[in-house]
Amino acid sequence: MAITKHSGIKIKGIVNVIPALNEDNLQLPIIEENERQKLVEQTGIRFRRTSKLPVKNLFSRGIKEAMQLTGWTNNDVDILICVTQTTELSIPSLACQLHGDHEFNQQTICYDINAGCSGYVYGLQTISSLLSTINSKKPRALLCCGDVSTHLLSPDDTSTQPIFSDAISVTAIEFDPNDDSITARFNLETIGKGQTAIYMEMNALNKKIMRLNGIDVFAYSVKYVPSNIEALIENAQKPDELPEIYVFHQANKLINDAVIRKLNLNIDCVPNTLNLYGNTASASIPITLCTRLSETNNWVLLSGFGVGFSVASALIKLPDFVPHKTIEI
Amino acid sequence: MKETENNWSYIIFVRFEEKMSLPLNEIETFLDFTSSELSISKNSISLETRFRDIPSWSSLNALIYISRINEETNVLITSGDLSEIVNLGDIYKLIKERSNGYN
Repeated sequence: MAITKHSGIKIKGIVNVIPALNEDNLQLPIIEENERQKLVEQTGIRFRRTSKLPVKNLFSRGIKEAMQLTGWTNNDVDILICVTQTTELSIPSLACQLHGDHEFNQQTICYDINAGCSGYVYGLQTISSLLSTINSKKPRALLCCGDVSTHLLSPDDTSTQPIFSDAISVTAIEFDPNDDSITARFNLETIGKGQTAIYMEMNALNKKIMRLNGIDVFAYSVKYVPSNIEALIENAQKPDELPEIYVFHQANKLINDAVIRKLNLNIDCVPNTLNLYGNTASASIPITLCTRLSETNNWVLLSGFGVGFSVASALIKLPDFVPHKTIEI
Repeated sequence: MKETENNWSYIIFVRFEEKMSLPLNEIETFLDFTSSELSISKNSISLETRFRDIPSWSSLNALIYISRINEETNVLITSGDLSEIVNLGDIYKLIKERSNGYN
């Protein structure tokens, strides 16, 4: 069990970039017409977003908006990490490509993390670990998360088409060396025997296709996510770190409801964006968090789970105010 | 006081008791449940029915069915389990074997 704790970590801003193009599951032609309503009720997903643009373009817009939102300059960013599994050209890393396009400082640490639904928490943990080691007055990082998952779907796949959606998110994070109070705790776990729950294969036309085994994702989520969260909160051992809200990766309603039921959570403490945006992979946590940011300034629990099989939860103390915006392109 | 502080988290997570709310380990209840969940007349199914031959069996309905079994019994069934079994009686047997907790 890899539980880590970090002091002085502060989220300074979040920008979500969501494609404007909307797909409606009630109009999805590959699903029989009399099954569509049931599909929407059971998955909790009516609308999904699809991007014709590569993921790099979405990240680029997100970075530009995040710099404006925080007032940071190009010389302020010490770390740039991209969490994605849908970059068109993976050499060089997308982080390096974005570094070049935005002319960040030469001293910036840049790399990609290959992670999906647990990726936001993985990225936060990686940045929290790195920032405290940087010799700077106010070490700062940009965490870019998200995918254009619809680019990897087979047009006739009734398992993936109704679920996956495109979006990205950019989170600005700062380390305060003078704040020695714990502001972030993480519990990252891997269940590699679940590697075929979500996976990529090449089809007959040599095109990359993502496959989803919904029953196994359900089984692994229900079996491993509640215990991961319980262990993290027990590790905190402080009543004042009790999360005000629980922000889960937006997988689908069947899975999320089962996890919430196992933890016996009050549904009012669990924001949900499935109906509007579908499953946006590693962008789903920050997108969903932003729906409650204006009314939350305390501890929040973030939990991502999926492809890997990977489970990652974070207990984060939010600052009093986190500027945020969600834009459509 | 110290003990109370250390045990606070157990107060937060009072998990649902891991027991059946529907006795799906009884054949009649299991067939009633399956008939309702898979939208098929109870008269047309038995423990010998091959679940893949049920007209409503699809990737979505199979997931809903498996999730409902978990909701009622806390039993988890994987795709690996389904690949090794054939009929409803096999699912019933899995529920019966695993209904004492997680598996």
